[in-house]
Amino acid sequence: MTALLWQATISGVLIGGVYALVALGLTLVFGVLRIINFAHGTLMMLGMYATFFLWSLAGVDPYVSVVIVGPAFFLAGMFIERLVIAPNRGAPESNQLLLTLGLALFLENAALAAFRADPRSLQLGYRLPPILLGEAVVNVPRLVAFLASIALAVLLWLFLRYTDTGKAIRAAAEEREGALLMGIDVRRLDSLAFGLGAALVAVAGSLVTPFLYVAPDVGDVFNILAFVIVVLGGMGSFLGALLGGFVVGLAESIGAAVLPGSLKQLPIFALFVLVLLFRPNGLLGRARG
Amino acid sequence: MDRSTHVSRRSFVRGAGLAGAAVLGVPTLLRAQAREIKVGHVHPLSGPLAFDGGLVVNGMTLAVEEINAAGGIKSQGGAKLVLSGGDSQGKPEVGTAEAERLIREGVVAVLGPYQSPVAYNISQLAEKEKTPFVITVAVADNITERGFEYTFRVQPNARAMTVKSLDHLAELAKASGTPVKTLAMMHEDGLFGTTVAGHVEKYAKNVGMELALRVPYSLRTADVTTEVTKIKAAKPDVVIVTGYFGDALLIARTATEVRLETKAVMGISNGGFSNPKFLADQKELSDLILDGNYWHNPKSERAKQVMEAYQKRFNAPMSSHSVQAYSATMVLRDALERAGGTDRAKVREALAKTNLADHILPQGPIQFDKTGENANAQSALLQNQGGKTVVVGPAQFAEAKAVFPVPRWSR
Repeated sequence: MTALLWQATISGVLIGGVYALVALGLTLVFGVLRIINFAHGTLMMLGMYATFFLWSLAGVDPYVSVVIVGPAFFLAGMFIERLVIAPNRGAPESNQLLLTLGLALFLENAALAAFRADPRSLQLGYRLPPILLGEAVVNVPRLVAFLASIALAVLLWLFLRYTDTGKAIRAAAEEREGALLMGIDVRRLDSLAFGLGAALVAVAGSLVTPFLYVAPDVGDVFNILAFVIVVLGGMGSFLGALLGGFVVGLAESIGAAVLPGSLKQLPIFALFVLVLLFRPNGLLGRARG
Repeated sequence: MDRSTHVSRRSFVRGAGLAGAAVLGVPTLLRAQAREIKVGHVHPLSGPLAFDGGLVVNGMTLAVEEINAAGGIKSQGGAKLVLSGGDSQGKPEVGTAEAERLIREGVVAVLGPYQSPVAYNISQLAEKEKTPFVITVAVADNITERGFEYTFRVQPNARAMTVKSLDHLAELAKASGTPVKTLAMMHEDGLFGTTVAGHVEKYAKNVGMELALRVPYSLRTADVTTEVTKIKAAKPDVVIVTGYFGDALLIARTATEVRLETKAVMGISNGGFSNPKFLADQKELSDLILDGNYWHNPKSERAKQVMEAYQKRFNAPMSSHSVQAYSATMVLRDALERAGGTDRAKVREALAKTNLADHILPQGPIQFDKTGENANAQSALLQNQGGKTVVVGPAQFAEAKAVFPVPRWSR
């Protein structure tokens, strides 16, 4: 049992890093645009297909493909924001919610029509033998995804903390109208934040492709968890998303060690309810006026 | 007196009037109709399962074209079969409505529908409408457990698939001199996986095995390391996996990573392990994995010809779904030949008396038991060898020798 729990802890931390990266994109978009992006998981799925096809058609290594997929999805995200989200600024919140949900349905079904339902998977051209930590096995592609996620989170944090654009993004997230009055082009920041969110989640997609599979509905797995993480950590909170990612990863993995089947997600949702009961704004969220 | 041959005065007058009107109105059409038999089918032709539904329809199309090219239904003046399709969109209520439409349009039988919930509903309608319903693909046991007279299934159901797969595993263990005493099972925790696991648990002792551990898992997951670690700790002789495609892939990968030690990893009715896409994408990972699944008979000359004809007609290898659909259509042809007409009750009678030895499945003659199940239906034991799925059991149908125990799992 100790061996199993040790393995569960390691697996939980590793996948938790990826969950955190997915949630970071979502929380960034929420923080600035104040919309819940239901298409977040769908963008991840498209990022995975991009990685898969770059590998299968052009022979691009999935880890190298990050430098193509990231910028491409950044631009695509900005484009989607301008085309779909921006025109509906100021519309009732429920409409904006339905908008991203509609976008998710559209993209998922387009993927279904284009790529079919059968999962595809890639095979790295080299061996990454697993590392042994005591009796537990560390899967190297998962470790790479974990480390890359952490590195990206640090980069994002540095960007938000020290660059002018980053500061502007934080200002817009904190007090949109105030930022507007200070002469910050908030509309540009909307596009930028959405683009960044899309790039982060697409790169997360690239990173999981070597150890997962690609299918039109694969984003669903991450979508729900990302929402839970964002709310758990505090909506719009950077560190909250990071912390939430690890909490959810561990809760799920240890849940799998002690509970059968789908019940492994029970601890996640139990934690979720508890946090909302005692800290309605999330673990690290601040009360908003 | 047989109800179907009884002609009352009123129905005679009505029939004669209609026939007269038809002869006067469209005489050429009537002649054409007399030589055509409409066969209805309902499958998912749009939605997530459209591709798989298409494979099933291809199998039927191939059979119908072969039958018509060989002179149609000979006992009925060489009547040609015409497929008339309905799209279930993967939904039971839509599928049933489409079946109802086809029955109204006068099809002799309904074939379909690729999904068990849809089959469950259509079988009820077919019973009410006294129309033969021949299942192409649908695995759930309960479809035939309601005493229906008009539902027939050629493919092995979940129980037959499980029982035969365990029989074949026992046969393999004996032949290779490697005893298999304990099993551990990973299965998706929906109806499909749970049903198969229940059968494994009940039947294993009949072949001297014991299901030592059952690990259900969620399909909606990105990580099964913990689940596979549980299996590893149980040190079973053979690991059985029942699930769909993506999850099967994830399990195979994780099992390799955590160095699962066992004599073999074997699917039962697994949606991924013998899927051509799995072999194409993951030649190394898929190698030597076993799967108990429905298949064709590789030793049959006819099966070889049919596979070649399919390749030529659709420019793709024939899938196991297509094989089932082809076989179901051939069973209907055989019944139509013996029924001597298109009266649905008579076609049902003929179907019930089916004894078809000329088929492409790895089993004895196709005969239906009282519930409408193919009494001799069985799965084949498959193994992926060097990028190709081959039949390794039962011995009678095996085209290659099984690699067992599998070296990659027993370091």
